[in-house]
Amino acid sequence: MEHWIYIFNIAGHAISLNLDTIFTMWFAMAAVIIFALIATRHLDLIPGKLQAVSESVMKFFYGTLDTMIEHENRQHVPLVASLFLFIVTANLMGQLPLRIINLKHGGELASPTNDINLTAAMAIIVLIYYVFMGIRAKGAKFFLHEFSFTGIVMALVEILEMITRPLSLAIRLFANIFAGEILVSIALGGLAYFLPLPIMLFEILVAFIQATVFMMLTIAYIGSATGNEH
Amino acid sequence: MVDTATISQMAHLGAGIAIGFGAVGAGLGIGFATKGLMDAVSRQPEVAGKAFGFFLLGAALSEACALYAFVIAFMLLGK
Repeated sequence: MEHWIYIFNIAGHAISLNLDTIFTMWFAMAAVIIFALIATRHLDLIPGKLQAVSESVMKFFYGTLDTMIEHENRQHVPLVASLFLFIVTANLMGQLPLRIINLKHGGELASPTNDINLTAAMAIIVLIYYVFMGIRAKGAKFFLHEFSFTGIVMALVEILEMITRPLSLAIRLFANIFAGEILVSIALGGLAYFLPLPIMLFEILVAFIQATVFMMLTIAYIGSATGNEH
Repeated sequence: MVDTATISQMAHLGAGIAIGFGAVGAGLGIGFATKGLMDAVSRQPEVAGKAFGFFLLGAALSEACALYAFVIAFMLLGK
């Protein structure tokens, strides 16, 4: 729960880095990148085992995008797929026994998504992406609606949503993983080695569900930003 | 003036209240989601797989509300 915090100064402003989160994040990113490199190395018309698996994973993204965004949906695949794969890898890392490695300065090698800074960064990336896509699709109409009472209220509500959407995205993912870790540690205090096992199995399910929820909400936000209202 | 011990006790009380009310809402939400799943599956058993996916998504979304309360409770526990 406590992080290995490193503080340095840039022009009088103290900037703190959670080094354990950064380390585990790079570990997850490296796992995803190495998997992608290996999976795309010997592509063939008749797919092997690994290629069949990765093609079915990509087909899952294409199918989800096709059902939720009507046209020009293939351009969002890089963001959506890398978000999903990274979040799944990061969440599953929390179940690895990396915590037995004792860090000297405090902190632990757990799932990187148990740090709200990481999930908030991903949520802000999603916010910037969907605002950019909305402006590219609709221009200034993305912010302004028709000039009537409902139009003005809609515009104000949508500006409010720019704050609440990334906030809820970030806190949802962070709180699920964090609550899972607290639950496991409480169960470990209750009946060591046996009671945490079903909870850890449930956490594996939660890892996939939360990654799916993050991806679905990202697609829904992009779809509502780029699509027509009528 | 209120001393810090009282503030800490009140913060612990507030943490309990926060997670309690949050759990009520999330429990209601997951209960309604399960009811919807049962209705759908008993009417059309062939959509069970697809409906279960949507059920998991909706349950995760309503469970998140309890977890917001959990985060607040955990922040209060640190006071």
